[in-house]
Amino acid sequence: MALFTRKDRIPIPPKDAQKFTAVCQYCNVGCGYDVYKWPVGKEGGKKPSENALGIDFTKQQVALQGQSIVENMYTVVTDKDGKQYNVLIIPSKASPINRGNYSIRGGTNAQATYAPTKPTRSRLHYPLLRVGDQFQPISWDEAIDIIARVVKGVKDRWGPDSIAMKVHDHGGSGSGFEDNWAVGKFFMVAVGTRMLSIHNRPAYNSEVWGQRERGAHELNYTYEDARLADTIVLWGANSFETASVFYTEHMLPNLQGATIAEKRKVFKKGEPAEPARMIVVDPRRTASVTVAETVAPGRVLHLRPNLGTDYVLANAIARAIYEKGWHDEEFIRKRTDLKTFEEYKKKSLMIDVPYEEFMRRVERLTGVSKKDIEKAAEWIAKPKKGRYRRRTLIVYEKGVIWNYKNYDTIASIAQIAALTGNYGKPGTGCGRQGGHQEGYVRPHSRSRAKLVGSIYAGGPPPNIDEYVKWDLRSKVYFVSGTDPYLSTPNAQEYKKRVHERTLALTKFLSEYATLAGEPAGSEERAKRILEGLDRTEGLFLVVINMYMCETARDAHLVLPAAGWGETPTTYINCNSRLLRIADKFMDPPGDAKPDWWIWGRIATRMKELYEAEGNYEEAKYCSGMDWKDAAEVFEDGASEFPDNRVSKADEAKLPAECYKGVTHDLLRKLGQKGIQTPVRRDPRTGKLVGTKRRYTYKFGTPDGKWRWYGTDPWDPDPMKFYPPEITKYFKNGNDKKYPFWFTNGRTQIFWQTGYNDRYLPEKVYTIPMPYIEMNYRDAERLGIKSGDIVEVYNMEGNCVAVVYVNDSPPPGTVYGIMYRFHESLNHLTTSYTDPKTTIPWYKASRVGIRKLSGGLEHVRKYTSFLPINDFS
Amino acid sequence: MVEVRLSRRSFVGGSIVLGALLTNVRFAKAFVAPSLPYKRKKIANIRDLKTHKPIMFNYPDENSPAVLVKIGRPAIGGVGPNRDIVAFSALCTHQGCPLTYSKGRFVCKCHYSMFDPAKNGQTYQGHASEWLPQIRLSIDSRGNIYAEAVEGLIWGRVINLLPK
Repeated sequence: MALFTRKDRIPIPPKDAQKFTAVCQYCNVGCGYDVYKWPVGKEGGKKPSENALGIDFTKQQVALQGQSIVENMYTVVTDKDGKQYNVLIIPSKASPINRGNYSIRGGTNAQATYAPTKPTRSRLHYPLLRVGDQFQPISWDEAIDIIARVVKGVKDRWGPDSIAMKVHDHGGSGSGFEDNWAVGKFFMVAVGTRMLSIHNRPAYNSEVWGQRERGAHELNYTYEDARLADTIVLWGANSFETASVFYTEHMLPNLQGATIAEKRKVFKKGEPAEPARMIVVDPRRTASVTVAETVAPGRVLHLRPNLGTDYVLANAIARAIYEKGWHDEEFIRKRTDLKTFEEYKKKSLMIDVPYEEFMRRVERLTGVSKKDIEKAAEWIAKPKKGRYRRRTLIVYEKGVIWNYKNYDTIASIAQIAALTGNYGKPGTGCGRQGGHQEGYVRPHSRSRAKLVGSIYAGGPPPNIDEYVKWDLRSKVYFVSGTDPYLSTPNAQEYKKRVHERTLALTKFLSEYATLAGEPAGSEERAKRILEGLDRTEGLFLVVINMYMCETARDAHLVLPAAGWGETPTTYINCNSRLLRIADKFMDPPGDAKPDWWIWGRIATRMKELYEAEGNYEEAKYCSGMDWKDAAEVFEDGASEFPDNRVSKADEAKLPAECYKGVTHDLLRKLGQKGIQTPVRRDPRTGKLVGTKRRYTYKFGTPDGKWRWYGTDPWDPDPMKFYPPEITKYFKNGNDKKYPFWFTNGRTQIFWQTGYNDRYLPEKVYTIPMPYIEMNYRDAERLGIKSGDIVEVYNMEGNCVAVVYVNDSPPPGTVYGIMYRFHESLNHLTTSYTDPKTTIPWYKASRVGIRKLSGGLEHVRKYTSFLPINDFS
Repeated sequence: MVEVRLSRRSFVGGSIVLGALLTNVRFAKAFVAPSLPYKRKKIANIRDLKTHKPIMFNYPDENSPAVLVKIGRPAIGGVGPNRDIVAFSALCTHQGCPLTYSKGRFVCKCHYSMFDPAKNGQTYQGHASEWLPQIRLSIDSRGNIYAEAVEGLIWGRVINLLPK
């Protein structure tokens, strides 16, 4: 009866089971997991003294207090010693982050492991070389030699900028500080190209320069702040679904009043400590809104701005705060730059425009009422009884990062926190929720190419998607740890062009082989590739991934990467910058290798090639990458950080990720406790200390003061407000062809493109194809029901999706999951990027919708279409 | 080879192959549910059931709360003339909290996982990475409804049948 195999018992780890520290490979929260491993055939006893967990398995465990151990947390792996092992990966009760809680994603960490007997057997085992329309396994030596020769040849002939890349820069999923350091050293030092782009976007940039250039890194609060805040603001962040455990383990108890005792401990004497209020700014009635409403009716405010108008709304809330006198004058005077404050008041708060007139314009553009704007201002900033300042934590994410005018939007939100003194104190902070965890360490100081910042810092950076699509000076393209055929904006056009260009090279090589036979060895193959790149519009594509991802289908070489648990790796989570080790507990499949090893080998081979021709200068740049193990790479990366022997106050000057002095061995000792970055070496004691909360004393600017910014002027007429990429949809009758706004996002059910999740039966049944959410009113008008299949289309592209009818999107707006396994609703996003940052606006375009007759019976039968935002 | 042999009990509404799995040593080793000697237990008579009025019971033992409900729409694994009578473990698979049945689905009020009883206990929203264990039901000619076995691991256990 069950739709797939279920278990009704799982083996118990014996007392001598090996135990490893792990951190979830998925979202920003970074839940701690304990891994137990022991040989198949052995089992521990049910009594506490007979098993590794010390749990009495003769009895039913108690809800919440007990250790969650579910079917999906158990698996069997095969190591390179040829033996099978039981593996149990359970949420750690020792982790301060999750305390035994876990999400629908992390609960399946064990199922994502490789096993020859499971669907994950489709992990890549060997390097693959394209010959015509086939992939042939080849050795690492051969693959590395081809790549090194092509990269060197292209660089020598056309310059380093002919080599482009799109590569992960984060933690989790098997990559962390180690892999990021290696990637950086390869491209920035060995190659020296500036044609870099980050996994989920077209350029190499911060997504939040609007906050960083004010003097605050986006990860500045700690998870405790969500327990201590008087008000939590979720802005463009559906945390229940995308930071699940942060929301339920830390925000919910605060909303429920369960953290009042904790508040009393740190609040000032006499300061009121009450259950928190929550403000959610999101066009959709997300689960984050409705769960909060369920537990704290009357203490949740939901603002639903028109798409792309968030920076105007943020400035309007700030204006209301200022108008009512609820700003923090002392903080502004002592901690911020008063010269730029004048510019902020003039441009962002528009104090020269009378308040009522200002609010009329805001209401017209944003669709949010003055009443709600003032209520938000009150909840964020109106002092509490006894004139104590409200403690407000503002958590924002992709809804505003990937919004219209990225720079101004992020700056506007970050400045609300500065205006109200909400940095550096318990219960405050303003920063990203995060998507994934972070592991950024790159050799910026040694980069041979000049890397630029926002338009205010030498930028904006080049758009590499456009570069590889249209500029034939791009010759080599590396795509690693990401799948842009699904995830890049305007994905359909992107994949068409990358396909055409890679195919041009493939055709050249095939024709060559028809005339002269296949090349005899890697040297000759590289020569032909270089010739093809000269004589065609071809692009040489190298994909490094755990799986044969969508982008890999057009690659010339596909290299198999090790994944999570297959190499020791380190990263920080987003809510607390908590650095821990996610240790190796099993071997990678086949001959898959860690990314750092791959980049190191290519660089080292290039070094040999340069040395052979006597070019010792270039060889020097390719040296120092023949690392022996991950620990060595981690410590090599620390060389990029400045001297961290600084005072507590000067933590503000350190990079957010600074881990100088920390080693893998230390992290193994610290286990789930970890250490919060930036790590300092205390000048008095010489000991390493973490940073709980940032910017308590100063900001990260030369004078330590917050740097204000005045945002762009705006017109309340939407047709004058939006860029041409949107207004084209309202011209020449297009408004009738594409009558819906379209926005997109994620689901709790699966992680990113579902590269692992596609192998889990639960996920495949629950999300059988991309989906859209449509309001009841629109659905009724179009005769569409939940479970129907529709084509969503516009001037950018199309996608087929299944429909959920619910009240989450407002009438006139449809919402879609960004991508799923093989398909992508990113086909519908425009190519707009913020001219100040090159950050795309994924979150809005216009679409038409057409119902496909007949539908799909299997989808209707096995997928649940109950409303996902009704918890009552 | 799967040995085709009827189990100790007859399975009304169950398949012969699934019955065979119960007694097959190789599959039992892999813990494929149901791999344990569950006892049949009478829960209710079809006359006692009203749509959306759940009946609580314990299965497979008194420490394992379960719920029987007629959901008013055909369900995977449903019994009765409309295939709409189903039973599940009443403990959330996430962290073991008791589930509430309302609006035709199960909601956990601890962390807000939701499960669809028509779709094999599918977690269609929330944190629970495991679908709700469904209790295999049978119904006899007099309308008596029996619990036969549990498909899926009950939260708080590593084995569904605890030692006596």
